[in-house]
Amino acid sequence: MLCLLVAQPEQIQDMNLMVMKKILASGCTPLIVTVNKPYKVLTKIYAKEGIGPESYFVIDAVTQYSGGVCPPSPRVKYVNNPSNLTDLGIAITELLKQMPEGKKCILFDSVSMLLIHIPSATASKFLHFVVNKLQLSDVSGIFLSVEKGLDPVVMSQMSAFVDHVMDYEQAQKQTCLL
Amino acid sequence: MPGKKAGLTDRTPDGSVQDIFRTIFERIQTAILIVDPAAHEIVDANPLMESLTGLTKDQMLGKGCQGFVCPAKCGECPVTDLHKNILNIEREVINAKGERVPVLKTVAKADFGGKEYLVESYVDITSHKKAEERQAALLAYLSESILRAKKPLELMQNDFQDIVKKAESGDYDAEDIRMQLALHAKNLAQIVKNLEELQAKALKGKSAEIPPEFREFLLRK
Repeated sequence: MLCLLVAQPEQIQDMNLMVMKKILASGCTPLIVTVNKPYKVLTKIYAKEGIGPESYFVIDAVTQYSGGVCPPSPRVKYVNNPSNLTDLGIAITELLKQMPEGKKCILFDSVSMLLIHIPSATASKFLHFVVNKLQLSDVSGIFLSVEKGLDPVVMSQMSAFVDHVMDYEQAQKQTCLL
Repeated sequence: MPGKKAGLTDRTPDGSVQDIFRTIFERIQTAILIVDPAAHEIVDANPLMESLTGLTKDQMLGKGCQGFVCPAKCGECPVTDLHKNILNIEREVINAKGERVPVLKTVAKADFGGKEYLVESYVDITSHKKAEERQAALLAYLSESILRAKKPLELMQNDFQDIVKKAESGDYDAEDIRMQLALHAKNLAQIVKNLEELQAKALKGKSAEIPPEFREFLLRK
């Protein structure tokens, strides 16, 4: 199952938490691709909601970029820059292989922040590549974006790639997103 | 009651009307073709049609209209077979170099000496199309600027508020705050760079760099 979830900027973090809880509740292992918050900060936000670091994997494209320390961990892969799509793609492939067997889901946070680093057209191609990879590997994917934060072409392409496009309220009502 | 006034072309003193119409046909700033609808052949063309197509009148006379000024297949002529009204419709004419020239096309039926002909007029809208493209380019860059600046800035604004709250509550240590501030400082620098690049491209009018799908979307009626 592939979903594009859109929300107001002030709801994005809450939406991330809501989605994480739903992914874990469905017995799926999440792989968070973050171009928004460093891993260290993300772990604190999740921990406060009772989500331990042993329950998820992370690809962090911002810690190194912000000059932070990148402590090695089997559950985390660091990419030096959010615009480094080659390394981001490799990291996704490698970490998906390393993850334990069973249901997996990528949570991409967020498409809107990725647009700081790459043009819409490039973002669209990259997301298409990720979606293809997920479909071939039978992995679910949830992409977060700010409402009206995608150009109409990227939005229509994304809508064609994914199974559902939902806003925050609609996503909240779903018992299972996957 | 005053009588109906006669215009220049209404006067028929000594056969000069034909000269008047010949002059108009040659000087009018609209490209004109006269087509024999039975044979679908060009039987006359004015000088502006010559400059529009890059072909001489001699090269056009006897030439079929299909595949030249009309995309219809044989038996599917929009005027004679499908009985459609062609009035200021956007079409393309293929010129001598094989280039497609955008035009506004109008077709009117006319009777000359008991035989029906098609009077086809063409207005070159290349400059109008270029202006449309330019407008699409500017809209695309404006839209891209908003997407790559406004939305991320809104997200960053919320992040800053969150950092303040978490710093006050003691949830974040100094390194957490430093990292996020450094990240957003870099993000802001990147947004400024993006805006400068977009502005430079918009000023150069690099419409070719706009994804064709986006251009199509913007020009959709």
